[in-house]
Amino acid sequence: MRGLSPIAAGSRRHRHQLVTAAIGRLSLLLAASATLLLGGCLGPMPQPLLGLNSRLEAIGSSRAPALAGRWLALIGGRDGREQVQLIDLERQLPVPLPGLNRPDAQPLAVAVDGAGEKLALVRQLEGRTELVLYRRSLMALEPIAMQPAGVPRRLSLRADGRELAVEVSRGGVWQVDLIQVP
Amino acid sequence: MLLLGQGLLGCGSWSWSRRSAGPAGLLGQTNREDPALSGNGRVLASLVERDGRPTVLLHEQPSGRELPLPQLRRLQPHRSPSLSWNGRYLALLVQQGSRQLAVIQDRATGQLHRLPLPGDQDPERLSLAPDGRRLALEVVRQGRSRVELLDLAPLLEPDLPATPVSGGGRLP
Repeated sequence: MRGLSPIAAGSRRHRHQLVTAAIGRLSLLLAASATLLLGGCLGPMPQPLLGLNSRLEAIGSSRAPALAGRWLALIGGRDGREQVQLIDLERQLPVPLPGLNRPDAQPLAVAVDGAGEKLALVRQLEGRTELVLYRRSLMALEPIAMQPAGVPRRLSLRADGRELAVEVSRGGVWQVDLIQVP
Repeated sequence: MLLLGQGLLGCGSWSWSRRSAGPAGLLGQTNREDPALSGNGRVLASLVERDGRPTVLLHEQPSGRELPLPQLRRLQPHRSPSLSWNGRYLALLVQQGSRQLAVIQDRATGQLHRLPLPGDQDPERLSLAPDGRRLALEVVRQGRSRVELLDLAPLLEPDLPATPVSGGGRLP
């Protein structure tokens, strides 16, 4: 087989380099397009907060979450003994709630304001379902009577703590009461 | 429509001013359930039966004007609504085919964010942080309830008290 002249060999090498470069650019373009397409389809995704979630796992079972500000209120516990818990998400620690939980009460729903000062709670106690408001700075619990009479269930507290929305059963119909919080 | 209710009523050492969020249905015999207030109290979400299925409705406060949510049609039954500070974001559980799904409706842009959940977990309730930065999700796995937190910072702009809402102009 005859060897190529230096000029022909240089020209072939040049063409080879051009083709290789074009393939490289095309691959990069395809990869970038695929990334963009996938990004467009999937978009940014929420991420689990692993450290906090492992702290929550340590509580045992947990339910009825309510988030506001740096606070997470929930009902949790082990062996069927459930309590209201308030977790400071920045410090990743529960804070004490003296006077709120009772061993003979079953909490049903809870809400917290953005300052972590007010907690609203629906609980069953001595066969009755009641709505109470707890102020953390006072460590004081105040019942809120349903007027007209009714049975409260789920609730929501405004993040600024000024108003409460409560689901109330009256005569077999569920209604929503809005209660200004002093 | 809102009905202004009773005035100040004494109760213990504090007094509580109340009103009803208004009847659901013509005679007030339809259930209105699972209320959620926006952080500033200007929007109330609640569940009312529409075509036999629980459907989330938003009402501006205190006017009672109903706010449209067209993208959530056909995703009933709805459950567990939760609102951000200005009511820009509405998080809730919806039904899509055979799956229950957590979604977040951005009322400023009209975007509906679907949040994927692992297949073996059933969502029960959720709570959206008023600033829109976190979501707490109660899930049931193997019969046990537990609360998990998601960081929404990659997904949502914050909805803060002093932030004027931009885009869409659909917010109250």
